[in-house]
Amino acid sequence: MGRSLALVAAVTALIMSASPKLQGAETVWSGLVIAENVAQPQPIPSELTRIEGSLKKLFGYNQFQVIGQSRKLLKTGQEDWLATSKFFGLHVDARGESEAGYVLNLKLYKEKELLLETDAKLSKRSPLVIKGPQVGSGQLLLILVVQ
Amino acid sequence: MKTFEEKWTAWLDGQLSGGELAEFEASLPDKAAAEAEKAEAKKLGVLLKREIGAQTLMNEEFFSHQLRERIARETAGSSRESGGRRIEVSTWWTIRRLLWTGTASLAVFLVFAIFVMRDKNPAEQSQYLTQILNARVDPVVSPNATISMFEAKEDRVTVLWTEGLQSLPSDYAAK
Repeated sequence: MGRSLALVAAVTALIMSASPKLQGAETVWSGLVIAENVAQPQPIPSELTRIEGSLKKLFGYNQFQVIGQSRKLLKTGQEDWLATSKFFGLHVDARGESEAGYVLNLKLYKEKELLLETDAKLSKRSPLVIKGPQVGSGQLLLILVVQ
Repeated sequence: MKTFEEKWTAWLDGQLSGGELAEFEASLPDKAAAEAEKAEAKKLGVLLKREIGAQTLMNEEFFSHQLRERIARETAGSSRESGGRRIEVSTWWTIRRLLWTGTASLAVFLVFAIFVMRDKNPAEQSQYLTQILNARVDPVVSPNATISMFEAKEDRVTVLWTEGLQSLPSDYAAK
């Protein structure tokens, strides 16, 4: 009986000691994407396949083309990086890690002009999509995914 | 009435006396041979007593012997009963242990419930969804811009939706 109780207590302590914090380094993919309707759409980039349904449903376009991207391995949660295209730049500044994910400050630049700024907690299981300005007949989207 | 063998054994052991002794000795066909046999039997008795001796039991052995006998008796008795009636089978799950196990399980459940629910504020957004903390646009560049946020549940996508940002020519879609 005593041994059984000791075993139960040990297992309980072991499970409780497992912290729910995020563990290890994770890669964040950041992309500048032009969404538009074309006659013969290109296949969606592999980074976006998991949210293809939502993108098409939300924005109503049939093609999503990456014009700039960055893939950053986060080790400390304090890194910053830039995803750029010819005219746009997305600056991402990671400001720490929490149970909910990474705290990020995002700034969208058109050349040197700041168009949009936001702070977000990016979860590993939940991509972030930002609707940017209209570009020609399409739409600029900023997408961040923890891979 | 004693048989001849009984009287013979008694005579060898020196148990006959009086008229019975005289009567038996008179019935012996060869008294000298019988006396020689009696002497041999005595010698054998003395030898056996000396060589083997009586083994006395120690206290521990005595009780151990008693216990073994009792167990053997009970085992034999229960095996006799097995054909006639149902035997109670002992099990680890006694009432006392069941109570202890139930109490321990309940305690573990409560501890888990407290630890899991401790930090969870129901008013907060799920930690599995990306949360937008704040957002702003340059009011000079896009004076009519508006911002809203929502979640697309099916892919767990969090969306920051802007309207009224300055539109740009298609040249800006260049890589």
